[in-house]
Amino acid sequence: MAETASSGQRLFRSIQAAKPKLVTGVPDGMLAQTIMLCEATPDFPYIACAREEECIGVASGAAMAGERAIVMVQNAGLLNSLGAFATMGLRYGLPFVVIVTNRGALADPNGYDIEKREAFDAGVRPMTRVFDFDAADLPDDLIPAAFKWAEAARKPVILALEKRLGAEAAA
Amino acid sequence: MSTPPMNTPSNLPSQQDAISAALALYPARPFAVSDIGSQTGWLKAAGHDARNLYVSGPMGLATSVALGLAAVRPNEQVLAIAGDGALAMNLTSLATIAGAKPKNLSILLVDNRIYEFTASVPTPTCDLDWLAVGRAFFGAGQCLRLSDLTPERWASVSRPAMIVADVAPAPGKPPALGMTPAMIRAEFLGASKR
Repeated sequence: MAETASSGQRLFRSIQAAKPKLVTGVPDGMLAQTIMLCEATPDFPYIACAREEECIGVASGAAMAGERAIVMVQNAGLLNSLGAFATMGLRYGLPFVVIVTNRGALADPNGYDIEKREAFDAGVRPMTRVFDFDAADLPDDLIPAAFKWAEAARKPVILALEKRLGAEAAA
Repeated sequence: MSTPPMNTPSNLPSQQDAISAALALYPARPFAVSDIGSQTGWLKAAGHDARNLYVSGPMGLATSVALGLAAVRPNEQVLAIAGDGALAMNLTSLATIAGAKPKNLSILLVDNRIYEFTASVPTPTCDLDWLAVGRAFFGAGQCLRLSDLTPERWASVSRPAMIVADVAPAPGKPPALGMTPAMIRAEFLGASKR
């Protein structure tokens, strides 16, 4: 029987398929495997930032030069970075992709995550388009499609990944 | 925290002159990424160039933007221009840059000890020894005073590196940028593709 890829591996393969010039991020448990795969690949540099707002800056620098860049952060990290997201990503119309783990879902009920999720819904969704996905069931063409959308829309796109009930077996 | 040796404001260079002097250290024009406000205004006043990237993001983000640019243009030199108030707002970027070790990125820290665009309120870092800060992140040989540099010496300094320039507070704000974000992006995109 063929071995199935984990959700972290599938996300990494989708990132690879989009041929980014760089990936940057701050770790979250749901992203850890993908980040380690990004750090190990020779296909693009992974820039490990000390703070999430820096990631928006790093991606903006690449996008200003017309290159594809991907940010990976937790929802709390994006909340820390909204000023940069607005004044760089939206103001300059930069088509980078932000992968956000949207913690605090029904299947992910850590007490310390609940308010982050509520703040994400209240603060991020009215500002820009967010596409939501089951972290355990990501389409293979997710990241290439996200770049196509961002490049057509001329602005960043946010992909919110969450744990969903009943998805553990699929992951 | 020790008090750094300080010239009197009257014999310090202007921010515009310090930026010009730093750019003149390079044999060819580097990409110059300036923070919002003073650095962007004085960079343009020092000489507009399509390789200037005027950042309108949060104060201090220029170092991070420059890191991303340096990563995708590894054969080009990139100079981030940050004020002391701005860099203090993104001090963690120095740790990130030190970890990423880009071989083509440098930072010019222009220290006028005030928020020039905000009624010249003193910065909380006005007594900070920025040379010591830079050396803590990048090493003694890679953080130098602008006044100690020549093009020959600068060419021998490994990157990432940092230049510290004490500058005089300006009597007024720099001339307005006069460019929209769309103009900045389009012009820079063209220059960065060449």
